[in-house]
Amino acid sequence: MAAFADILKQFFYAPDEDVGELFRPSIPADEMTLLASQERPGEYLAFFLAQECYAIPIDQVREIVRVPPLTEIPRSADNLLGVIKLRGEILPVYDVKMRLKLCERPPKIAGPEVEPGSLTSTSRILIVRDPEGDVGVLVDAVREVIRLKPSEIESLAPGIGGGDHLVGLGHLGTDLFILLDIHKALA
Amino acid sequence: MTTSTKGLSDFVAEATEILDALSRDLAILDRRRGERLEPDLVNGIFRSAHSLKGLAAMFGEQRIAQLAHQTEDLLDRLRLGRIELTEKVVDALIESFDTFQVVLAETSRRERSAVATERAEAVSQKLAQFIDSGTVEQSDALDQLELDTQVRNVLTEYEEHRLRENLREGMAVWKVRAVFDLSDFDQGLARLNSKLKSLGEVISTLPSADPGDGTGIAFDIIFGGKVETEKLRLALTALPASVHPLFQFQPQPAEPSLPLERLVSPTPPGAEPEHRSPVRVAVSNAPQQASGALPAYANPRFGTADAMVRPSPKQPDGEGDPVGRGLTQTVRVDIGRLDSLMDAVGELLLIKANVARLAEQASRGGKPPPGQLWGHELHRESRLLERKLDDLQKGILEVRMVPLGQVFDKLARTVRRIARESGKEVDFLMRGGEVEVDKLIVEALSDPLMHIVRNAVDHGVETPDERERLSKRPRAAVAIRAMQRGNQVVIEISDDGRGLDEERIREVAVRTGILTRAQAEEMTPRELQRLIFLPGFSTASRVSELSGRGVGLDVVKTNISRLSGMIDTHSERGVGSTFTITLPETLAIVRALVVSVSGRVYAVPLNAVSEITSIAESEVRTVEGREVIGLRGKTIPLARLARVFELPETELRRRFILVVGLAHRRLGIAVDELLGQQDVVVKPLGGRLRHTPGIAGATDLGDRNPVLVLDTGALIEEVVNSERRPELV
Repeated sequence: MAAFADILKQFFYAPDEDVGELFRPSIPADEMTLLASQERPGEYLAFFLAQECYAIPIDQVREIVRVPPLTEIPRSADNLLGVIKLRGEILPVYDVKMRLKLCERPPKIAGPEVEPGSLTSTSRILIVRDPEGDVGVLVDAVREVIRLKPSEIESLAPGIGGGDHLVGLGHLGTDLFILLDIHKALA
Repeated sequence: MTTSTKGLSDFVAEATEILDALSRDLAILDRRRGERLEPDLVNGIFRSAHSLKGLAAMFGEQRIAQLAHQTEDLLDRLRLGRIELTEKVVDALIESFDTFQVVLAETSRRERSAVATERAEAVSQKLAQFIDSGTVEQSDALDQLELDTQVRNVLTEYEEHRLRENLREGMAVWKVRAVFDLSDFDQGLARLNSKLKSLGEVISTLPSADPGDGTGIAFDIIFGGKVETEKLRLALTALPASVHPLFQFQPQPAEPSLPLERLVSPTPPGAEPEHRSPVRVAVSNAPQQASGALPAYANPRFGTADAMVRPSPKQPDGEGDPVGRGLTQTVRVDIGRLDSLMDAVGELLLIKANVARLAEQASRGGKPPPGQLWGHELHRESRLLERKLDDLQKGILEVRMVPLGQVFDKLARTVRRIARESGKEVDFLMRGGEVEVDKLIVEALSDPLMHIVRNAVDHGVETPDERERLSKRPRAAVAIRAMQRGNQVVIEISDDGRGLDEERIREVAVRTGILTRAQAEEMTPRELQRLIFLPGFSTASRVSELSGRGVGLDVVKTNISRLSGMIDTHSERGVGSTFTITLPETLAIVRALVVSVSGRVYAVPLNAVSEITSIAESEVRTVEGREVIGLRGKTIPLARLARVFELPETELRRRFILVVGLAHRRLGIAVDELLGQQDVVVKPLGGRLRHTPGIAGATDLGDRNPVLVLDTGALIEEVVNSERRPELV
């Protein structure tokens, strides 16, 4: 029965998920107008990779989909998890966790030898716009859409982060968001 | 069958064209049942049948020739008014058309089954029954006319018939005498004819028996129309014509719609309810048929002529027959498109000449051109070449485009037949038949569309009584619309019937174990509606339990996704349903062999595979560590796909070998299983995966994940040209 429920879940084109709840303005609305003249906040999509919270500019995200069955590409790079079809389009799906040193090797989620437990019910694929052709990025969960003003973004101190794919750190209250250059993380 | 292959394909192509024309005309005839018969239309159908007869006789296709002969006979009597165009006659004509399709399909496959022959004979006999029965006694109306016997003797039978019809419809008839100068009489006559045609019907044009003065040529034109003599005189003032009334037009204010009046049955309504057409209520006025005088109708063999009889298994059925698909591989092409292809080829030749010149310059013993300049020129030529090849490819894709209307016409016939069978009144509306898509898509669309339209009529719309109770228009509307959106084509099939019953779907889904109660409760109506596309959903349930809308829709979905298309539905209870199909305009379709290796499925273009064989593990030899196999005395290299693709290998005693490549560059590719053959649409992986080695693209086999298509050329390169692979040592 559970298997059939899975099939059903996969069978539908993943409907657009309600993103209304994802929005959390960083400041109350009445203060917004005041601040607007001084600073324009940017919108970011925040998501989880392992236990860390990352964020990328929302205008780079074309859509968010549930994880459909993947087809593995033989002899491909380690970070290429496989390809999916999305409304007739064939899209590659990449892992970024390995690049971010959050895991030793990418999860095996395509082909007959799928590792159980490598996907959870909150796993999603972000379809990211890319000049070379849009790509999917596997994330563990989508958290929310946040607004960050430039003043809320801290540049990286030496010793933090191991590459140019990190842009900075966003602060919202006590929460920390690691801002990612997704294109560099995929390269 | 003595016809050569070429002859046969010519015959099939030409016959298909005639049948296409016939189909269009019959569809119009069918739609206008009970309306005043248009002489040109019947004449057109008659001519189609006539050409089909001639063609079939020429190619020695006796079955078709015979049936066409009977059809022609029937139509001849029809156009001469010897028999009435009744429901049954229209049905018989449509049936004979369906039979033509079946027999032609067989002929194209060089088969000849007893079933089809029997059917052709049965239809042929039925047509003969109509022909024998059809002698309508006439008190000759022509006697009323003040027509010279001389003139009357030269009128053809058809012309006499038209004359009678005109009289019967209360038209006035004139003899128009016109005298033209010999030098330009053809133009004058054409002018006169066009003037007259705007007022009525030109029944006959005869050279006058009385030539008038010596310099000109005179014509007598027999003309029928509903105008007054004075008006006619006025209209013809500028022309050298004089008007002589033969029969006066009598205005009949009491019966303004006289021509229609005669279509109303002399039998009281309800006397023979089984012959009431569900498509359009038009009752026949053929007493000799209504009274059951035709013995054929008592005979169960001819039971199919009666619209209300349940279809026998042999009854032609749009879905079962191959008739919906094109039998011929021919495409009719606009000459302009071919011209532009020719232009592209011409320019390619120019480029070739330029490249040859450059090659000669480089190889000539004399002073070589400066390398940079030479490279520059070569580069320019290659850019030109690329652009022209692009044009050529686009041109060829265009040539493959055919209008969707071809399928729509066939759908219209199906709708009418099903409506008749199920006792419903349906208006079938078609829009966008001119939208063009690849011929292969049009053909592959035929079945899915037929299925959806059939469902819409059969289960979607209500019976006239039920509709009246719901205060809906008694005539239901089923519409098909095609639209071009960018490089996609959208086809919508909508009905104003009862819509999908989500509650029912929910119940069935729970009862058949597809969903748990909790899951079913959570689903939105739209999600529930989409369940009807689920494989196994329909088979798990009864047709009637779902308003029948689930029947085989999973197959429809699979067929559509095989064309890289999508199907969705939107339905509102009691208001109707709409199915939306989105398709690409063109496809690169290849026939592929579907194989599996280590639990993965791959597609291999079949045109790359020259042979398929199987070998035991013990037959594999090695040469310098590389595996080879023997193939009829030749030794060719072997590549295990699992090993090439670095997949975990499965233990098998025997494997299948796909032999790919030609001559000295052949390769045996070992796979675990052969799963079947299929036409697939190959999509390049594109983007970052453009250069994936050994993979040409991906395709959709109706599974949930994409299936990769192998690039055999690249695999040959890789294996045949590579140095010894270390893992094989």
